[in-house]
Amino acid sequence: MAEISTIARPYAVAAYKLGKEQKALTKWSEMLGFATQVANDTQMQAYIQDPNVVASDLQATFLKVCGNKLNENAQNLIKLLIEYGRLSVLPAITDAFEALKAQDEGTLEANIIAASKPSATEVKDLVKRLEAKFGKKVEATVSIDPEIIGGIKIIVGDTVIDASVKNQLQNLAYSLTA
Amino acid sequence: MQLSTSEISELIKSRLENFSTSAEARTQGTVISVTDGIVRIHGLSNVMAGEMIEFPGNTFGLALNLERDSVGAVVLGDYEHITEGDVVKCTGRILEVPVGPELIGRVVNALGQPIDGKGPVNAKMTDKIEKVAPGVIARKSVSQPVQTGLKSVDSMVPVGRGQRELIIGDRQTGKTAVAVDAIINQKGQNMTCVYVAIGQKASTIANVVRKLEENGAMAYTIVVAAAASDSAALQFLAPYAGCTMGEYFRDRGEDALIVYDDLTKQAIAYRQISLLLRRPPGREAYPGDVFYIHSRLLERAARVNEDYVEKFTGGKVKGKTGSLTALPVIETAAGDVSAFVPTNVISITDGQIFLETDLFNAGIRPAINAGISVSRVGGAAQTKVIKKLGGGVRLALAQYRELAAFAQFASDLDEATRKQLDRGRMFTELMKQAQYAPLSISNMAISLLAANKGYFDDVPTAKVLAFESALHGFMGSKYKALMDGIESSKDLAGDAEKAVEAAIQDFKATNAY
Repeated sequence: MAEISTIARPYAVAAYKLGKEQKALTKWSEMLGFATQVANDTQMQAYIQDPNVVASDLQATFLKVCGNKLNENAQNLIKLLIEYGRLSVLPAITDAFEALKAQDEGTLEANIIAASKPSATEVKDLVKRLEAKFGKKVEATVSIDPEIIGGIKIIVGDTVIDASVKNQLQNLAYSLTA
Repeated sequence: MQLSTSEISELIKSRLENFSTSAEARTQGTVISVTDGIVRIHGLSNVMAGEMIEFPGNTFGLALNLERDSVGAVVLGDYEHITEGDVVKCTGRILEVPVGPELIGRVVNALGQPIDGKGPVNAKMTDKIEKVAPGVIARKSVSQPVQTGLKSVDSMVPVGRGQRELIIGDRQTGKTAVAVDAIINQKGQNMTCVYVAIGQKASTIANVVRKLEENGAMAYTIVVAAAASDSAALQFLAPYAGCTMGEYFRDRGEDALIVYDDLTKQAIAYRQISLLLRRPPGREAYPGDVFYIHSRLLERAARVNEDYVEKFTGGKVKGKTGSLTALPVIETAAGDVSAFVPTNVISITDGQIFLETDLFNAGIRPAINAGISVSRVGGAAQTKVIKKLGGGVRLALAQYRELAAFAQFASDLDEATRKQLDRGRMFTELMKQAQYAPLSISNMAISLLAANKGYFDDVPTAKVLAFESALHGFMGSKYKALMDGIESSKDLAGDAEKAVEAAIQDFKATNAY
């Protein structure tokens, strides 16, 4: 939801700035990723949503589960989130933080969707072309989706390069019925 | 529409030929919520304000609210099939409609798609619906008349080419009738007309189109219709779409007339969109920019100079000015002109034609209130002969109104006052005119001249219109050359006036009325 990312942004920016000051962006990324995994755990989810649990108990439990994986700053972030009842936006904070980090490092995440598994050289070639197009380092993940029938579809942030057979068939259908 | 098999295969063939299969790179987003045709979208980070966006199922929308993490858009057309999570694509295009002479004689919706069942509009060009009006340097002052064919309008509130003259009044006072008569009278006047129907009943629109067809006006008219059942987005966009179609002619050194019927409904549609987009409401719950939606629309009605036309056409059209005359319509509630939208539009336009229920019910049709109807620039454009003869009408009616109020109390009046009252009564009667019966310049001139010279004075008030129509018939058959002369010169030069007077005396001698 749009509102969630709006709420998450200031937290992510704060974490990012702090991480940058401490030159510990990778550490922060790990910590946020770990905390998100904890928060997404089904048992923990049930505990978080339980109305009988008071904030101080939740803080203690959550930090105990995380153990020594979080440093003092990250623990404070969790405490703050619980205090404001914003623990549910933690995944969005992590996403926003990763986006800021990627921007800082000048990398882009690209999701390549293909109908059948592309060869390693093909992926390499694609990544090279994408890097040339966007002028940034591209980290590609490949996923297989037979639904697109043939060709590929590349998702980079909001931009989608659609060269799938499915899309072309759809366009053909529209142009014939228009 | 009937299609033959060969036509179908030809159509498919041409579409297949033109189909391109390149990969497309587009910004995407996902639908968060759909509420009454308003869609909130997450993503679409590169979308432009007013850009067309594509929903699944070949449906398009218009991005209106660009917020930090979401985009608010209106769906153009049906939105029932759009659901949360649907993928939305940018098109990189600002909303466009087809333009050109191919549209003439057609009835289209706000997106320029035909709705008259006469097959596709084969327009060669499209143009943006939101454009900036011509600047100060590109303009020329209004100096040519638009003949509406209505005695009362042409003599008292003349309209010039490029002017914006508001038609305002309560419901059922004949606002549309004035506008439609003005369109019908443009036959052979080198004027392309655009009639934009906003938020009206589909049956009313069909009636107007039928009347235009019956009177041969569809040969030079485009009808843009956004009926009451169409989505608010289409009702909001229809005037801009019609304006773009009219501007095509203005920019090419031709003259066009556009009727927005009516802008109150457009403002209401815009209010609906704005409230659903959660823009803060202001006076009468209209959003803050309701003035701007009308001012930017009406500002596009203008007369442009020769240089602009030459530059626009790349030198193909030289030495011609172009114009787009606008006749916006505003409906008031119980004559309240100080409501928000009426005051706005009154202040934007170059004058207004005021229609009143009381006058309408008293049988004075068109029900124009001569006292408060004005034309701020039309005087400079008024046809010479009408200007010469029609000057006294306004004065006579003004004096009549004053005296009539006073005469209600006084039983015996002096000769001069009674004469003035009679004259006023006669003029009031003479200004009545049937619907779909616009008058030519020569006929109007004859009527005004006869009235000015007192030839109506001995005609009973009830017979004034009968006298007039008989006079027109007589002049048209016996003095055709004289009438044609007035029609072409648009003036009563030299001894033409004397000749006309002699002709009227000749007519009176026949006692034919």
